Amino acid sequence: MTDTALRSAPKPGTGTRARRPEAERVRSRPAQVALNVLQRAWLIVVVFAIWWIASADSTNVFIPSLESILTSLGRDLFNGVIAEGAAYSLGNLAAGLLIAVAVGIIGGLILGETKRLREIVDPVIHFFRSVPQAALVPLIIGAFGIGQGPKIYTIAFACMWPVLLNTIDGVLGVEPTIRKFSRVYRIPRGLHFRKVVLPAALPQIVAGVRVALPIGITVMVVSELFAANKGLGFYILNSSATFMVPETWAGALLVGVIGYILSLLFVVLERRILSWYFKSGAK
Amino acid sequence: MKTSTKSLDWGLTTQRLLAVAALLAIWQVIIWSGTLPSMTPGVAALASSIGASLASATFWSALAQTMTAAVSGWLIAVAVGTVLGLLIGSVRALDRSTSILIDFGRSFPVLALMPVVIMLLGATAQMETVVVALSCLWPVLVQTIYGARRMESAVVDTVRIFQIPALLRFRRVLLPSATPFIATGIRISASISILVAVGVEVLSQTPGIGRQITLAQQAQRWDSAFAYLFFAGLVGWSIASLLNFAEGRILKWNRQNND
Amino acid sequence: MAIQAAPEDVQVATKPLLQVQGLTMSYGFGDSENKILNDLNLDVNDGEFVSIVGPSGVGKTTLLRCLSGLIQPRSGTVSVGGEVINGPHRDLAVVFQDYSRSLMPWMTTLENVAFPLQGRGVGKKERNETAEKNLAAVGLAGQGHKYPWEMSGGMQQRVAIARALAYNAKVLLMDEPFASVDAQTRFDLEDLVIDLQATLGVTIILVTHDIDEALYLADKVIVLAEKPATVVDVIETGFGDHRDQVETKADPRFADARARILHRLRDH
Repeated sequence: MTDTALRSAPKPGTGTRARRPEAERVRSRPAQVALNVLQRAWLIVVVFAIWWIASADSTNVFIPSLESILTSLGRDLFNGVIAEGAAYSLGNLAAGLLIAVAVGIIGGLILGETKRLREIVDPVIHFFRSVPQAALVPLIIGAFGIGQGPKIYTIAFACMWPVLLNTIDGVLGVEPTIRKFSRVYRIPRGLHFRKVVLPAALPQIVAGVRVALPIGITVMVVSELFAANKGLGFYILNSSATFMVPETWAGALLVGVIGYILSLLFVVLERRILSWYFKSGAK
Repeated sequence: MKTSTKSLDWGLTTQRLLAVAALLAIWQVIIWSGTLPSMTPGVAALASSIGASLASATFWSALAQTMTAAVSGWLIAVAVGTVLGLLIGSVRALDRSTSILIDFGRSFPVLALMPVVIMLLGATAQMETVVVALSCLWPVLVQTIYGARRMESAVVDTVRIFQIPALLRFRRVLLPSATPFIATGIRISASISILVAVGVEVLSQTPGIGRQITLAQQAQRWDSAFAYLFFAGLVGWSIASLLNFAEGRILKWNRQNND
Repeated sequence: MAIQAAPEDVQVATKPLLQVQGLTMSYGFGDSENKILNDLNLDVNDGEFVSIVGPSGVGKTTLLRCLSGLIQPRSGTVSVGGEVINGPHRDLAVVFQDYSRSLMPWMTTLENVAFPLQGRGVGKKERNETAEKNLAAVGLAGQGHKYPWEMSGGMQQRVAIARALAYNAKVLLMDEPFASVDAQTRFDLEDLVIDLQATLGVTIILVTHDIDEALYLADKVIVLAEKPATVVDVIETGFGDHRDQVETKADPRFADARARILHRLRDH
């Protein structure tokens, strides 16, 4: 998660081409679609069913039946208890991510364009991004209290590094020909940044944000599990402290589902922002 | 980021040290200005407690506990993730069937499960290992599947033309062609392992660096809390550099992809 | 070589080594069906060098993939030594256009060449000897320890050829093997293939879009055109065993044949 995974790692897709449309496609289209859906969905259904049946008459107080978990989840979703907490948590996440993205992109553009500065601060950056984000939580909360601000800053600090590092990589990866073009035609510096470097580095930047998103969610939950009076993490912590076991499970599952939905939404967003990139086949 | 370290550049090294010194100076000025809460330690206090930690048995045993949980969880994840990933990535039907489940798993913040896991397993080192393994599994699994899936069509054709038997195909073609991806997964998950181990300790008070940080903070020993934080960062950084180096050595042939 | 299917009463001994009968290939079904090859018939005799030439996109690669057993035709058959193939076959080796991708970067050159033999269960010592011998045959003696990516494109394609030779198949199928190398390297590789064919007596079917290359290399040139592809002409080159990049290409017969092929392709 803390890795930019883009420089030394082979990019997914480089050097490989899609398999040729071979002759084996024999089935007609609608049947193919139905089969596809079935192939993708069956395992989820099976897992769900096994969980439901296996936990149905569980006598272990810590393993409530799936039915009771879903019942409490449904109840708290509709009575607004969760909605309020989710709004608080996701608000913090959004604010933290926004700060991280802004700082990361600006810092990354500057460092990417100035070689010497980049080389000088390189070890410092790599040190900071290696600091376990969760370990910051007790310090920041201890120093600044359990309010909203410290949580946002912790999220921002944790999410900043992947964005920063990926922006630097993106700037470094700008096609030299495009750079030369920009210089030959004397594109003004501001315009050069806005219209040449930034769009060219955008695929990498977006990849950095994609890495940052799950880190942000984790830090969000951890900060609330550590100490909070509001939020999804607080909901989990509070229900576990008061031995409302199904609610604890429900909260944890919900955070997982939210994480999944956010990552799906991000893919949609990515497709929109980078439509030129995917269509050009540059990937 | 690539740095030119072919021959040791003394000018650069000096400038780097100066940059660190400047950061520390800024830190000290902020402390003096009173902008930060009074308990934040100054540079001198920080330095002395970093030194003190190195001589303290508590520190070393906490570090050992964190490392043991992180490394064993990581190794479990690497073993399970690689085997499962190769299997899933090379069998198309399996790949399709598991895709939603894996997408869900990888985006699941495992630390959110902490209260549940503590209920089930207690605040023990085993619990910590399980949580680390669960978190590290996904990057390894996802990368391995990627690697196994993305075989060059020309290589696929070659293997078919020369009628290479399944076992040899697996050992000499599928495995090596997926290795760069597996290596990436292993590297990513190594950073995650330290991070999650410390996170678990912070949240569950399982013995280790994370717990020491919390304890120090609660005892108002901010200097030692920062010292521990420093070491946590240092460990993460060393592991990342080490694996990066190893990967470059082992995957010599993969250079062509980066050219 | 005949465009029509061979008559049924031909004796087994004189049967062509590779025989294609009524080969039809298309992608998709119903309204979206795209027919690529239409009712192709070819016979290739043992020891013959046959070029298949045609414009880009005519379906040459599809034809070669059918011949090699990588894809199954919609209808019709491909047979080798009288045996109808239904997949890759022991007697068929392929040299792909994409040499840099078909050689495995994690194996040394020697391991790459020996790999098909390893797949056949040949012992380490024997397969390395065979590989070394075949590397020498393509002019790469003593280079086995290198990795493919340490070599130039022309050398990599030599390795791919050595690998196909080491497999010791009766028929060598080559798919635009020299399309991605520079002109001088290309000439060298062409002459290498001619020499190898003369000394080893292997049957070669080479697909190319380059008319000069097709004529220069082959005993017979099959011209593919139209959509779906059909055989529009078959030319016996008649240059014999001795070929020279300058002399052969200056031969009046060469110019005539080339003009004939160009006309054929233009008329269709």
